[in-house]
Amino acid sequence: MSGATLPVALHLRQADRATAIRYFARRNPRMLIGGAMVLTWLLLALLAPFIAPYDPIKVNVSGALQPPSGIHFLGTDDLGRDVFSRVLWGSRVSLSVGVISVSIGFLVGVTLGLAAGYLGGTFDLLVMRAIDALLAFPALVLAIAITAALGPQIQNAMIAIGIVAVPAYARLTRGQVLSVRAREFIVAARTIGCSPLRIVLRHIFPNVTNALIVQATLSTAFAILAEAALSFLGLGPQPPDPSWGQDVNYSQRYLPNLKWWMSVGPGVAIFTAVFAFNFLGDALRDALDPRLRRSA
Amino acid sequence: MTRYILRRLLLMVPVAFLVTIGVFVLVRLSPGDPVLVFAGEERDPAVLAAMRQELGLDQPMPAQYVAWVTRLAQGDLGRSFQTRQRVLEAITERLPATLELGLAALLISVTLALAVGILSAIKRNSVVDLLSTSVTLAGVSFPSFFLGIVLILLFAYVIPGRIFPPGGYVPFTQDAGDNLRRLVLPALTLATASLAINLRQVRSSLLDVFGQDYMRTARAKGLREGTVIVRHALKNALIPVVTLIGIQIGAIIEGAFITETIFFWPGIGRLAVTAIPSGDYPVVQGVVLVSALSFMLTTLLVDLLYAWLDPRISYEKVGA
Repeated sequence: MSGATLPVALHLRQADRATAIRYFARRNPRMLIGGAMVLTWLLLALLAPFIAPYDPIKVNVSGALQPPSGIHFLGTDDLGRDVFSRVLWGSRVSLSVGVISVSIGFLVGVTLGLAAGYLGGTFDLLVMRAIDALLAFPALVLAIAITAALGPQIQNAMIAIGIVAVPAYARLTRGQVLSVRAREFIVAARTIGCSPLRIVLRHIFPNVTNALIVQATLSTAFAILAEAALSFLGLGPQPPDPSWGQDVNYSQRYLPNLKWWMSVGPGVAIFTAVFAFNFLGDALRDALDPRLRRSA
Repeated sequence: MTRYILRRLLLMVPVAFLVTIGVFVLVRLSPGDPVLVFAGEERDPAVLAAMRQELGLDQPMPAQYVAWVTRLAQGDLGRSFQTRQRVLEAITERLPATLELGLAALLISVTLALAVGILSAIKRNSVVDLLSTSVTLAGVSFPSFFLGIVLILLFAYVIPGRIFPPGGYVPFTQDAGDNLRRLVLPALTLATASLAINLRQVRSSLLDVFGQDYMRTARAKGLREGTVIVRHALKNALIPVVTLIGIQIGAIIEGAFITETIFFWPGIGRLAVTAIPSGDYPVVQGVVLVSALSFMLTTLLVDLLYAWLDPRISYEKVGA
């Protein structure tokens, strides 16, 4: 028996893969810049306990309201707490809320979208009406209402922002599933007797991941912004724990005294973190969306 | 068109029903016993039980929901636990301030977005374009409450002469000049986030239109560039912007919660934010419900306007 007709799996060599990655990175420099900005914030959050020069909640009244200096890079607040240390520790709150709430939105939204798109019929109708109901609320108003109902805690803020993120994932996934469902390879998989679960997970899901990666990056930016807004309204982590939004709110009372550094530190931190994820999301969309790639 | 409107209205019914269930469940999830909040200092079990019966809280959940929806249909959103004022009355009292702020923000956002977006699309890849796309990304990422604080710091405290006050509200009928001076900073704050999105939309829809065959035909006919842009490009490119303005209504409603809090603007957003810490759930519930329903209605109105503006949209197929 000759083996000439048997299919041969060609494995990409490690060197070829590295070349491909380098080529992709060269063609998409914005992705590298965005990735570097996001990575910097992630590292700062991870290493905060080691690089923060002071304890973020330790009160030192004698050193209160000092402007930025070599000793306190971003000055101190009215209780003498180091603003730079609070910004670094605050990044752990903001980024963890971002990642966890996006994971909640992703898991629930993608599961619903895959099931609704694949199964269709009554299930699809019910899910999409529920999604429409969620979309009827302005996103932040819904997040505020959920957090107010569950109680002002960081875990509840994560749940609220996660729920608000569900519709975007569900609609996106459902739309992608509908466009892939009728393709030949799905018909072929069904013909050879694949189970619906296998078809959805092994054949459909890999084809919708590009759009989901872009959505996840952009919704992390939204989640950080939403967490900051909830904290600003007193619905996030409670004092004395550091949190960017809450610190900006707290600093507001010192504006007439021109103690600007108390607001600027956490405010700029929110802006740069959200900007990093938005920038990366935009770059990923340009790189992964075939329609944009063609028109570029 | 009538059939299309009816169909859209019918589709809204189940969504509105689900919205009411959502708001009802949210309030019932709230920690604490509403009777205790409502009773204030009163702790006599007999009085509390009577109050529970009076508020209908001794009934099973579905019965409570039916009673609540029935009252809602009659325009009764309940009473504030704190002030005992009717919630609908509290909302209607504060609605003019929110509407004034929202409309001013929308006006700033749309005007600037159109001016800069058109310039940016015409001069693609120029300095103006680069600047406007960078500002767009920065605007989307800038937290509105931080922008508000920066504006207060600059215009109320740093720049001499206190050009704009740091907050507060004076009704237009009382002092028009002071009202407008106090409106500038909150309106700018609220406009920024939606300005970024509007600008991006105007630019991209114009660029889309620039690539169409009819644009080439218009130029081939020998029309002047100004005529080509105004008569052929703008007319078509601005249709998606109408939808966008509808979407921005949502952004403006949610932005009002933050902006009104920073600038002590007595609108419905601030009403809800101040009601949250005191556990005044009927007020929070009322504001959330009114926000959701007005968002749904404006989305519907914009969709209808869009269908009316763009003759390519087939009324029969939409929603099928």
